[in-house]
Amino acid sequence: NIDPESLLPKLPSPEELRPFPTSCYTIFRGHEARVRSLAIDPSGSFVASGGDDGMVRIWQLFTGHQIWSVKLSKEEAVNAVRWRPGTDAVILAAATGEDVYLIAPPMSENDIDPELHVKSRELVDAGWGYAANGASGKAKKEPATQWVRPGSSLQDKGVLVKFSLRKTVKVIAWHRRGEYFSTVSPQGQSSAVAIHTLSKHLTQLPFRKLKGLAQSAQFHPSKPIFFVATQRMIRSYDLSRQELIKIIQPGARWISSFDVHPGGDNLIVGSYDKRLLWHDLELSVRPYKTLRYHQKAIRAVKFHPGGLPLFADASDDGSLQIFHGKVVSDMMENASIVPLKVLKGHQIKKELGVLDVDWHPTEPWCVSAGADGTCRLWA
Amino acid sequence: MSDQTLSNSAGDTGDSASTSQVRIQLSTRHPDIALPENPGPILVNTNLRRYALSTLVNALLQSEKPIPFEFLINGTFLRTTLDQYLTANGISAEITLNVEYVRAIIPPVYLASFQHDEWVSSVDVLSKTSPAAIWAGNAGTKVPGQERILSGCYDGLLRVWNMSSEVIATSPSADEGGAHSAILAAKFISPTQIASSGLDRTVRTWEYSEDADGFSASITPKLELHGHKMAVNSLAVHHPSSRILSTSQDHSIRFWSTKKSEAPPTPENLLPSTSFKSSKRQKTGSSPTTATRGSLSELKSHTGQVSDTIFAPNDHTVAYSSSWDHTVKTWDLPSSRCIDTRSTSAALFSLTALPSLNLLAAGSVARHITLIDPRASATTVSAMTLRGHSNAVVSLAVDPQNSYGLVSGSHDGTCRVWDVRSGTSGNEGKVGHSLYCIERESAKGRGKIAAGEGVKVFSVCWDSDVGIVSGSEDKRMQINRGKGIVGEQPS
Ligand SMILES: [Mg+2]
Repeated sequence: NIDPESLLPKLPSPEELRPFPTSCYTIFRGHEARVRSLAIDPSGSFVASGGDDGMVRIWQLFTGHQIWSVKLSKEEAVNAVRWRPGTDAVILAAATGEDVYLIAPPMSENDIDPELHVKSRELVDAGWGYAANGASGKAKKEPATQWVRPGSSLQDKGVLVKFSLRKTVKVIAWHRRGEYFSTVSPQGQSSAVAIHTLSKHLTQLPFRKLKGLAQSAQFHPSKPIFFVATQRMIRSYDLSRQELIKIIQPGARWISSFDVHPGGDNLIVGSYDKRLLWHDLELSVRPYKTLRYHQKAIRAVKFHPGGLPLFADASDDGSLQIFHGKVVSDMMENASIVPLKVLKGHQIKKELGVLDVDWHPTEPWCVSAGADGTCRLWA
Repeated sequence: MSDQTLSNSAGDTGDSASTSQVRIQLSTRHPDIALPENPGPILVNTNLRRYALSTLVNALLQSEKPIPFEFLINGTFLRTTLDQYLTANGISAEITLNVEYVRAIIPPVYLASFQHDEWVSSVDVLSKTSPAAIWAGNAGTKVPGQERILSGCYDGLLRVWNMSSEVIATSPSADEGGAHSAILAAKFISPTQIASSGLDRTVRTWEYSEDADGFSASITPKLELHGHKMAVNSLAVHHPSSRILSTSQDHSIRFWSTKKSEAPPTPENLLPSTSFKSSKRQKTGSSPTTATRGSLSELKSHTGQVSDTIFAPNDHTVAYSSSWDHTVKTWDLPSSRCIDTRSTSAALFSLTALPSLNLLAAGSVARHITLIDPRASATTVSAMTLRGHSNAVVSLAVDPQNSYGLVSGSHDGTCRVWDVRSGTSGNEGKVGHSLYCIERESAKGRGKIAAGEGVKVFSVCWDSDVGIVSGSEDKRMQINRGKGIVGEQPS
């Protein structure tokens, strides 16, 4: 007579899986409305945030001191802010309404290395030449959008480039080399998912016939593969051959966000129907594990990018949940997933709780964006 | 407390068989307060507390002026009666208790707050006993008769205060040769020289001079030192050799001379404002009247922000540094080489040295302070861990009167006073707990403050004349000082 419980592999206790974030270290106040999106810069020193007040703000990570800000829109929310990967330049992409901006934030006049700032401006500005000369010879059809100067008052603040898509942009994701980034406009139909080439100031719409409403998109961390999530499915595409590879079926009713593990073979998916799903892409198109811990919708999910076996989600119930998630290279063994900590502190405002989460590039620290107008650092 | 009570108390210790008694063996590590001859085990009543034991030791020492003592039993300061201690620790009264006595650390009482317009990032003291004054005194320079406090502020200004909370000097604005943004570190190099650094990537030295009456003074730019590519977090100064060390978010440490003639020129590409719009450059560009220089050397090996650095207490050709990369490094300055790396478990935000113990203390993001023996012969990385803070430990300073003492400043909004003789051994080695916790006066009545919001401490300094000075997000510099003789049960 064997107790079936005894046959299950024993999970390690959270204590053995330290370090992971356990408490709130810093509260960033300044936004006058919901904070929609936030991201830690590749050097791990700053947080950028964007909110319903139309502002992008940059903060010192631990002190919470705001070092820079710009108002991008009087009417529209800033829905997405994402740093360009790499420490060779300091470039931030931000989306408000239908507009996408590329920013080389000078922080304040003398707070950034002049060489780095020049490099950043050069990278953003390099495409002007291409748009003028190269495009006419090569392009077969009209470009999806024109990249333009945003006007002198924004240019003075380091906001160097602007382009507009047809519908509100909700998601920005960079390719790891910092040359491409994608945007998602869920209502955009044939232009819902766009891929942009920084050095050419070129916007392309590779998914003319997308089945369903696009929710999010991500580049594979090492292969030329691109993932697009609609409400119920995530499709992976081979970018070089331009063909569908796989249709991943999380079984959720409405996907809010997903993230690709740095190793490339595992996905986490968050859904408005409160589910967090782990997919092992080598195993199945169905989830390897379904985690139901939240009382309300999950808004954002994120793997630790820098080699720590951690991932986090953010929910409208006002909390974040931190998990241990270790991917093993052994094909016979599956990922071990252990819930570690529920982080509470954000206030729920009008049914909305925590709207975004991001990890520090190397440390076990994460930041969250709240409908309560605050960002928080957890360590 | 009079001599009479002292001798009475001492006389009492042997008799009174009705109450229970315990044998104690008194000892100390300090020769100046050692007993003239070993009295052997002394039988005392178990209802004695710290005060009565202090009286007993003073009687044995035949002190003319009683010295307040504290008592350590098994690494813990006695805070109850001996009887309560024995009961709490399950120790039989039959054994002889080893009792170590030390000079009492006086509870630091709130004295004053100096209001600023913005967050106070850094504090330093100039007094007869401060390092800057001692260096100057050794060199025959006159030291002002009164104490001065230097503060660096997020408004980009340095201020020198007198003890009546009056600002007697303010550094010039950016347009007039001052810092371009928030100050992150400020120190007296000497009674007439100040060093500062901050978000504008620049290390600056300043001439400080007081009018004869001492009521007003001036802070004049002297040198702008360029080289760092990101914010300069902290500074160490050594006046006798005219050297400064700075640490930066750019992962490097730079080594500078405060002498214009000695310092190399600034590389042209490192001068600020070359890349910005010309209209603004003219307004806020570097002041043409201030000389700019480059660094003597760059110390590179850390892989994260360098949070803090110090000159080795007994050898100014050696430096130590702490970093977000979890390590403490030892540097040979003449060769700019990293000669030792000690790895810890978490990002380090602050560093100081306990010279007579050959220990470094490093404040961690993981809410504790790690004591590290940097000598090559040391076998363990962490000699002891000090626990009690609830947020990152971002500033450390040693007790100027007790070589075992230090104070820490934390983003939890408190400063804690520690004595490393006090600690208990557990699974994770020796763990120390703080003697006193200094809260922000501005936080009185606010209860427990989540994430240290509004009260984060950024800098702490401990001077024997002035006391414990701390700068905070509450826009105040706060002074706490031990006053009078320690109470029966300090809290
Ligand atoms: Mg596997």
